Amino acid sequence: MLRKRLVTVLTFNKGTLFRTKLFEPDYRYTHNFVDSWSVDEIVMLDVTRDVNADKAAFFKVVTQFAKECFVPLAVGGGIRSMDDVRTMMAAGGDKVVINSGAVEHPEFITEIANAYGSQCVVLSIDAKKSDAVDGGYEVVSHFARNGTGKSPADWAREGEELGAGEVLITSVERDGSLQGYDIPLCKLVSDAVTVPVLGLAGAGNWKHFVEGVTDGGLSAVCTQNIYHFTETSVASAKKFMEKKGIPVRL
Amino acid sequence: MIGIIDHGLGNLTSVAGAVAKLGHDAVITDDADKLAAADKLILPGVGAFPDGMKNLKARGLIDLLDDLVIKRRKPILGICLGFQLLGQSSQEFGDTQGLGWIDAPVTLLQPEDKTMRVPHVGWNDTAIDAECILFDGIPDGALFYFVHKYKMEDPGAGVAVATCNHGGRFTAAVQKGNIFGTQFHPEKSQQHGLTLLQNFLEKA
Repeated sequence: MLRKRLVTVLTFNKGTLFRTKLFEPDYRYTHNFVDSWSVDEIVMLDVTRDVNADKAAFFKVVTQFAKECFVPLAVGGGIRSMDDVRTMMAAGGDKVVINSGAVEHPEFITEIANAYGSQCVVLSIDAKKSDAVDGGYEVVSHFARNGTGKSPADWAREGEELGAGEVLITSVERDGSLQGYDIPLCKLVSDAVTVPVLGLAGAGNWKHFVEGVTDGGLSAVCTQNIYHFTETSVASAKKFMEKKGIPVRL
Repeated sequence: MIGIIDHGLGNLTSVAGAVAKLGHDAVITDDADKLAAADKLILPGVGAFPDGMKNLKARGLIDLLDDLVIKRRKPILGICLGFQLLGQSSQEFGDTQGLGWIDAPVTLLQPEDKTMRVPHVGWNDTAIDAECILFDGIPDGALFYFVHKYKMEDPGAGVAVATCNHGGRFTAAVQKGNIFGTQFHPEKSQQHGLTLLQNFLEKA
């Protein structure tokens, strides 16, 4: 039986690992270690805001990391062109994560899928609560600065039709909150598509992982919290999930 | 020296990293002489089937590989797309001829249970169905990492050496003489994956 995945998301600013809270940098945790043994998959995102910043720093970090990474690696942040995709794949990425680039040019999803296959394209969707959009959430882009007027369910469905192989749904409000995933948001998106859905933002304890899978319909639960990176914590989170009846890789 | 065939489609460095970790020298190349000189070949791949074949053709590698693998019986391991390319053909984006060394087509994964998601992404149990050196020291039911939307149809007993189930059984690994292939990514499957790669590097 296919196992539910526990995925670690690492965000980088100009090549330096840090975490975010409410989508703003939070430098309190900068430990440069990941348990790349118990974790099922790793997502590395370049969240450098400075558009003039040298992208080489992130490329270097990915290349270094990929050499010693024997779990799948998805890479994203600032990917706008097929050249960017090729660069990230050459650095050792197994998949690319696209967000604002897909909002700007939805056909970009198809272009990547045609070259690398759908399984290579993760459509990342950032969403905020909104009364103005059907379903109560609005897709936002460009570091949550731009509204799109789209509902996350519609955008996920469109992304799937265009060729996305997975969807990563992130709640802007829950980012760094440790209050749990935005379950209704996860459910809206996972019900909308037939591809696997990964959920991010809000996990603060092991129960949140369980809720994400059982109530949110997630195929993978993601965490950016440094407390979840250490060797014993990933393993203990998975043991907890297994006790609650969720198939995981121990 | 291990020749990692460069078809210009992703994931080459991860494979090279795993081979290096296991203490073997590898070269990522599309150069005919270097591939001919390699002791063993790995055909990796994250990519779409038509682009994979197109790139092999454009680099003049199809006849070369036929010669090295079929005539000279050089051991080869196909991984993921590289594994699918060993087959007869694929439905991905139309109908494309493969290398045709394994007598089975590649078709879309269509789980009977519609709640099962496609692509099939993640760790899944792999049943070892036949004796194969790739799985030496690996327990039956070991978890490997899969990420694919298409599957190879059953190439028949004796060729399919492992299967996996995602709303229906599909081929997870094959061996036909010197030709080996895995649908999963051994280079991304931690200890069992490294053991499998080591088996190929040292026993094939």
